[in-house]
Amino acid sequence: MDFYFLLFAIMAVGAGIFTITAKDALPSALGLLTVFIALAALYLHLHAPLIAVFQVSIYAGAILVLVVFVIMLLITPDEELEQAQKNISYRAMGAILGAYLVALLVIGLAGIRQLVAQRSLPDGFGAPSQIGLLFFKQYLLHFEMASVLLLVALVAAIYLAKKNV
Amino acid sequence: MADWQIDLIKVVFIWAWALLIAVVMTWVERRASAMMQDRLGPNRAGPFGLLQPLADGIKLFTKEDIIPERARKILFILGPILFALPAFSTYAVVPFGDKIVIGGKEIILQVSDVNIGFLYVLALSAIAVYGMVIGGWASNSKYSILGGLRATAQLISYEVPMGLALLTIVLLYGTFSLREIVLQQQGTFLGFLPNWGFFKQPVGFIIFLVAAYAEANRVPFDLPECESELVTGYHTEYGSMRLGLYLFGEYVNLVALSAITVSLFFGGWALPYVDMGKFLGPVSYGIASFLVFFLKQAFFLFLFVWVRWTVPRFRYDQLMGLGWKALIPLGLVNLFVTALLVQLTT
Repeated sequence: MDFYFLLFAIMAVGAGIFTITAKDALPSALGLLTVFIALAALYLHLHAPLIAVFQVSIYAGAILVLVVFVIMLLITPDEELEQAQKNISYRAMGAILGAYLVALLVIGLAGIRQLVAQRSLPDGFGAPSQIGLLFFKQYLLHFEMASVLLLVALVAAIYLAKKNV
Repeated sequence: MADWQIDLIKVVFIWAWALLIAVVMTWVERRASAMMQDRLGPNRAGPFGLLQPLADGIKLFTKEDIIPERARKILFILGPILFALPAFSTYAVVPFGDKIVIGGKEIILQVSDVNIGFLYVLALSAIAVYGMVIGGWASNSKYSILGGLRATAQLISYEVPMGLALLTIVLLYGTFSLREIVLQQQGTFLGFLPNWGFFKQPVGFIIFLVAAYAEANRVPFDLPECESELVTGYHTEYGSMRLGLYLFGEYVNLVALSAITVSLFFGGWALPYVDMGKFLGPVSYGIASFLVFFLKQAFFLFLFVWVRWTVPRFRYDQLMGLGWKALIPLGLVNLFVTALLVQLTT
């Protein structure tokens, strides 16, 4: 295995473990940030610079910033997360979702032979134009479905916010 | 020379250059503000007070380094570093000149011409907020936390219009590479205007500029550090060189933002109407293109100072209103119109 992959894979796993074991909220979020950046580095290694940049700018730069915003709003450095961590229903929910993810990974393992085998990259692999073509030709329906889903979430969020005003 | 040596020289050069400009900017800021307020400003250290930044640096370095007792130590130390790092990393993709031929070897004046340079800049500006947030939270003080909170809300709000404005540029030039974008801005358009992004995309430029000021935390958008309400916001608890890194990182950020503005909207290193390459030697052309780029950049650096000492600060709700109710709809309409025009003309 190559060194670059190992370095960032270990970084991602380590930061992931830190994320779920950290006592404080903000360091935990920063652990997640490290996971995102390590994943972006791995995408770069897989010749997908565009995905890497999206990983950083969308996950680290937008979604996680919102999470951090909520943490800053609700939790000061002196408070600890133990109360939330002791909540049984959270734990049960976490266990179910975790088991589901592990199951997905195990199913995915079946196809690992094909993934590990080396092959040459198709022409223009990972270029922005190619990804755009995939989105707007081959996967148009999926793309539009995702956008409608996001719109639904947006409208629902505004509805919920308006109700409380 | 081997390629990696050339790359190393380029990296060292552009970092040193950016640092130098940022240092000089601290002086320009104080002198220009004095000029605008009919004062003298710092004029004791060296000619015209030019050595003032050096004196400030010595002061910051020799001050006692205090970490508040109840602060989170590791994060407290990490904050300023994370703030300054993304600003420096932006230079990796900025084309600061055309090319220079030395000893028969053609060297492009850019550290790395990556084909997604543009998105790289956006991603870095998205990461920059963590420096402020971590510093604010780790200080464990009300002012700092409020400052960090404001920083997150502000940055996330203004990233959207900035992205929308930049998307119009991508539509126009059909590429993410900053060098390509600069090359496509050569020549004239409509017969007499320089072929600059500014003339083709004026609305996009204004949105970009406003969003850039907000991302750089400059007046009128410096709510995260707002002295009148929050002492100095997220860096209230910082002192000595850690504070210096925050203040200095801001200037490095300004240098980067003006470089991006010049590359995207003002033709980068090229002079309008004149093709310098025709009558200059290969070496002098490289230097001239670098100087032209710097002159344009200097104008935008001065504009940052100019605006800071002219415009009063927004109220927080005005800031959010401007972002969400004015800039984002305007950006969307602009994107739509641009897409239509591009579709019709090509």
